[in-house]
Amino acid sequence: MSTAAASKADDRGLVLYRPFMCRVESVRDLTPSEKLFRFVRVDGQPFGHKPGQFMQVSLLGIGEAPISVSSSPTRGDYLEMGVRNAGTLTNAMHELKPGDTVGLRGPFGTFFDTEGMKGRNLLLISGGCGLAPMRAMIQYVEDCRGDFADVTILYGAKSPDDVLYKDELALWQSSDKFDCRLTVDAVPGGACWDTNVGVITKLIPPLAIAPDKTTAIIVGPPIMYRFVIIELHKKGISDENIVVSLERYMKCGVGKCGHCTIEHLYCCIDGPVFTLDQVAGLRGAI
Amino acid sequence: MKRLTVQELEAFFKCLESDYDVRVPIALHDGTRSLGKPDEGPLALAGGAVPTKITSVFFPQMQKLLTADADMASTPVEMAAARGKPLFVVGFTAQDADCLEFIDRFFDANYRDDIYFAGRDGSIVVSVSGRCGADGNFLRIAGEKCDIEVISDGDKFIVAAYSDAGRGLVDGIDAGEDAADGALEALQKESDALPTDDLELIQAASRLILADKVPEKFWEDVSDRCIACTSCNLVCPTCTCFEVFDREANGKIERWRMWDSCQLDGFMREASGHNPMGEEAIRTRRRIHHRLAADVTRWGHVTCYLCGRCDDVCPVNIGIKSVCREMVEQYG
Repeated sequence: MSTAAASKADDRGLVLYRPFMCRVESVRDLTPSEKLFRFVRVDGQPFGHKPGQFMQVSLLGIGEAPISVSSSPTRGDYLEMGVRNAGTLTNAMHELKPGDTVGLRGPFGTFFDTEGMKGRNLLLISGGCGLAPMRAMIQYVEDCRGDFADVTILYGAKSPDDVLYKDELALWQSSDKFDCRLTVDAVPGGACWDTNVGVITKLIPPLAIAPDKTTAIIVGPPIMYRFVIIELHKKGISDENIVVSLERYMKCGVGKCGHCTIEHLYCCIDGPVFTLDQVAGLRGAI
Repeated sequence: MKRLTVQELEAFFKCLESDYDVRVPIALHDGTRSLGKPDEGPLALAGGAVPTKITSVFFPQMQKLLTADADMASTPVEMAAARGKPLFVVGFTAQDADCLEFIDRFFDANYRDDIYFAGRDGSIVVSVSGRCGADGNFLRIAGEKCDIEVISDGDKFIVAAYSDAGRGLVDGIDAGEDAADGALEALQKESDALPTDDLELIQAASRLILADKVPEKFWEDVSDRCIACTSCNLVCPTCTCFEVFDREANGKIERWRMWDSCQLDGFMREASGHNPMGEEAIRTRRRIHHRLAADVTRWGHVTCYLCGRCDDVCPVNIGIKSVCREMVEQYG
C-alpha cells in the first residue's frame, strides 16, 4: 500500500540522521586514557538533555558512536562527556582541541526518573567509566538537593590511577550533601590510596538502607551489575527500585539499526535506563 | 475490473515510466528472475517470489545518509536527496506485501526514518498472485496491503486496485477486456482455501520458544551447521539491521548505511571488547527468536511472513522453516 496518504513528511527535509554542529569548548585529562570534553552548540541552543541520556557523536570521515552525557542540564547550556580512548572514534576524539567542531545527534534514550525519585533516598553505584553518566545524575542531585532524602554515592575503580573525576569525588566526599565512599580493586606498589580496597560490592553490606524508601542506580561494566544486584537484594531493595543503565553499541540511536537489542527491547529507545524489573530475566541484559 | 494479457500488462507498466521509476520481475539469462526496469529483460510475472530481498527497492543494501566537508564548520551537512520519480514496483507476493507492511510500521515507529520514507512515500506496490506460482501453483491473493494486484486466472490477469493512487492508474487502462462477474471472487475462494501448514508450523515454533521449551542444546546444534554466510539476512524482506560508515568520495565525506547481519561475530561487539552476541549459538538463536518471540512481545505478532527465501538460499538447510520444523518435531 502506498504510504503517501499517511506520510508525516517533515518540512525541514531529511533530518533523522543529520548531526548538529557543536564546538569543543574545553578538553581536560581525567586519566591517561580518559578525557572530559565540554561542547556547546554552534547555534547557541540548549541540548535539552536529562541525566542518563546519550548522544551520537560524529567525526566526519571517522564515523559516529553513542556516548553518555556526563553533565547535568542544571549546569548550563553546555554538555560534557567523559570519554575513554577505546575505539576508532574515541581515539580520534582524544585528538580534539578547544575550538574544533564535531557533530552531535540527540539526546537519545530514557533517563533517570528524577521526578519519580523525589523524596526518596538515593544509592548511586558506579564502577569504572560508569561514573561518566552517573556524574550527570550526581550533579543534578547536588543542584536540586532538597528534592531528595539521603544520598549515598559508591564508586569503584580498578586502581587509584583509574579513578575518574578525582577533584569532584573529593568534593563529594567532603560535602554534607552526600555520603560518598570509594574503593579500588587493588593498589599497585607505590600508589597512594588511603581508603577502601576491594570490589565495589564490599561497600554495600555496611550501609544502613531503608529498602522501601530507597532507589538504587547502577552504572558500570557488565560484570558489576550481577554482583551488585545480589547485594541490593540482600538489603531488601526490590527490582522496581533498582535502576540500571545498560550500554550497547547503538549505531543509529533511533531504534532502527538493530545493534542494541536485548530480546524485544531496543536499548537506544527503550533504554539505556531501565528499572531492573523491566529487564530481569531477559537474556543478555545483565 | 480489467482482465489483461501479459503483453497488455507489460505495455501498461512501460507507459508509466514517464511518471514512475518502474521495476518489474524480469527473466535473467541464467533462468532466474530479478527486479529490473522494463527494458532490462523480458517481463517474468510467473514464478512466485523473486529470489532477492524485494524490500530492497525501498531499503537498499547501501544508502547514502549525508554528505559534508570533513571540516564540519565550513559547510553545512547535506542530507541525501529524496529520490526523483516515485517507485512503481511489480512483483510482491502476498507474503512480500505482508513483509512490506511490517517494515513500513517498523521504520515509522518512534522515530520516523525519513531516509526510508523518502523512497517509500508516493510509491506504488503491485502484487502478483493467482495461478502463476512456481510450477503453476496458486499464489495467495494479497488484497489491500498493496495498491494494485494482478491476479492470474491461468490465462490472463485480472487487475484489482485497492488504494486511491492505484485506482487512479488502473482507471486509465484502455486495453484488455472486462473481467467476468464473479471471476475475482472465485479466485479469492481458491486463495482462501490454500493450505496453512507453514503458518501453523511457525506459530507452533513461536509458542515453544515463548514457553521456554527450546533448550540451549538445540541452538548449539543448529549453530554448529551455520557457516555464517549471512544469506538468510541478505534475502529476508523484514531484516532491517544496518551498519553505518563514513567514506571519502570526490573530496567530500559521505555517511552511508549498509545492511548488517546478526549472524556475524562483530554485530554487537563494543570497543571495550564486550560482545553480547559473542557465541554462534546466541547469534543463531537471535535470528529465530527475534522473529518468533521478541517481535511477538514487541509488535504482538510473529514477523516472519513465510516468504521462503532464507530456506531457499541457506546452503546448510537451516532457514527459518527448516529450523521450526526440527524444533516442533523435537519439542512440540
